[in-house]
Amino acid sequence: MRNYIAIVFRDKSKAYEALHGLWQLDQVGDITVHGTTVVHRDAFGQIQVDTKETHPALATAVGVGVGALLGLFAGPVGIAVGAAAGAGLGAAAGGIVGGLADLGRADTRDNALNDAAFVLGMGESAVIADVTEDWNSPIDNLALRLGGSVYRRAKSLVRNDDPYFYDNYFYPYEYIPSRHTMYW
Amino acid sequence: MTLAQHKTEEHRTANKSKDGSLERVRAAAQELHAAITSAAAKHGEAVKEELKSIVPKAKAVVASLNESLGVQTEAIKKQLSQAIPHLEATQKHVAESLKATGHAAEASVRQAVLDAHAAVQKITEALAAKRTAESTHVHS
Repeated sequence: MRNYIAIVFRDKSKAYEALHGLWQLDQVGDITVHGTTVVHRDAFGQIQVDTKETHPALATAVGVGVGALLGLFAGPVGIAVGAAAGAGLGAAAGGIVGGLADLGRADTRDNALNDAAFVLGMGESAVIADVTEDWNSPIDNLALRLGGSVYRRAKSLVRNDDPYFYDNYFYPYEYIPSRHTMYW
Repeated sequence: MTLAQHKTEEHRTANKSKDGSLERVRAAAQELHAAITSAAAKHGEAVKEELKSIVPKAKAVVASLNESLGVQTEAIKKQLSQAIPHLEATQKHVAESLKATGHAAEASVRQAVLDAHAAVQKITEALAAKRTAESTHVHS
């Protein structure tokens, strides 16, 4: 099944360990990783996306895609397992309800952006990935080992028409990141 | 380890060797995307210098993909074939960027990155489908 997953940590270095862990799982064939990114929420509430340094010609306006995607994990369809941080999220986050979420719609996107705060708290970091997994245990075990919370959402339940979404955020292999700030 | 687990592990190990060609194709495509992205991050003449070294890389990925097609099932072959137009477009845009200057060159590089990324996505989707098919086969 093709899923978006987010593994949230209090410690940024753990998010990178998880990033490498995901690619290791891919290497042994337990999952297939289509793309990954690492994000942080700073003390002012801004989400920062670690992305590869690119030529200005490639640096299109940074959108809200990843923030909104994070928010989608907060709804009832986004399920948290692992650490206690995930408890009660579904009840707390009210913007996005189950079913197909169209991030191309401004109202859905705005609600999702608000809900992102329920998934990624101040000072927390997350690795977000687009994966194909035939069973959940490899990623769940990875998160458990590193002390993170896993959120999943079926990719089929997310519509995203942003043509630059993958090229701006989701890297199809491991990379050494630099930090860019995402404003909204 | 139970007998069933042992058999599953044995099957997975056996499949990994068969999987190898597709994984190598993906690794080559990922490397191509990384190389174009890295070239695009350079300035001035350095961009073109790097892009020159990308032309043979792009050709090698296409050759490697064509070779891999021969050992795939029809379903995977069909999926994998979808990467070919993107790889051809990558080659075309890299070639164009070498001839062009200024904004036209930048636009070609940008397009090359997008196409290389799309090719990686298609190959990864084929790999995922192959792994899922094999996993289903093991567990059925």
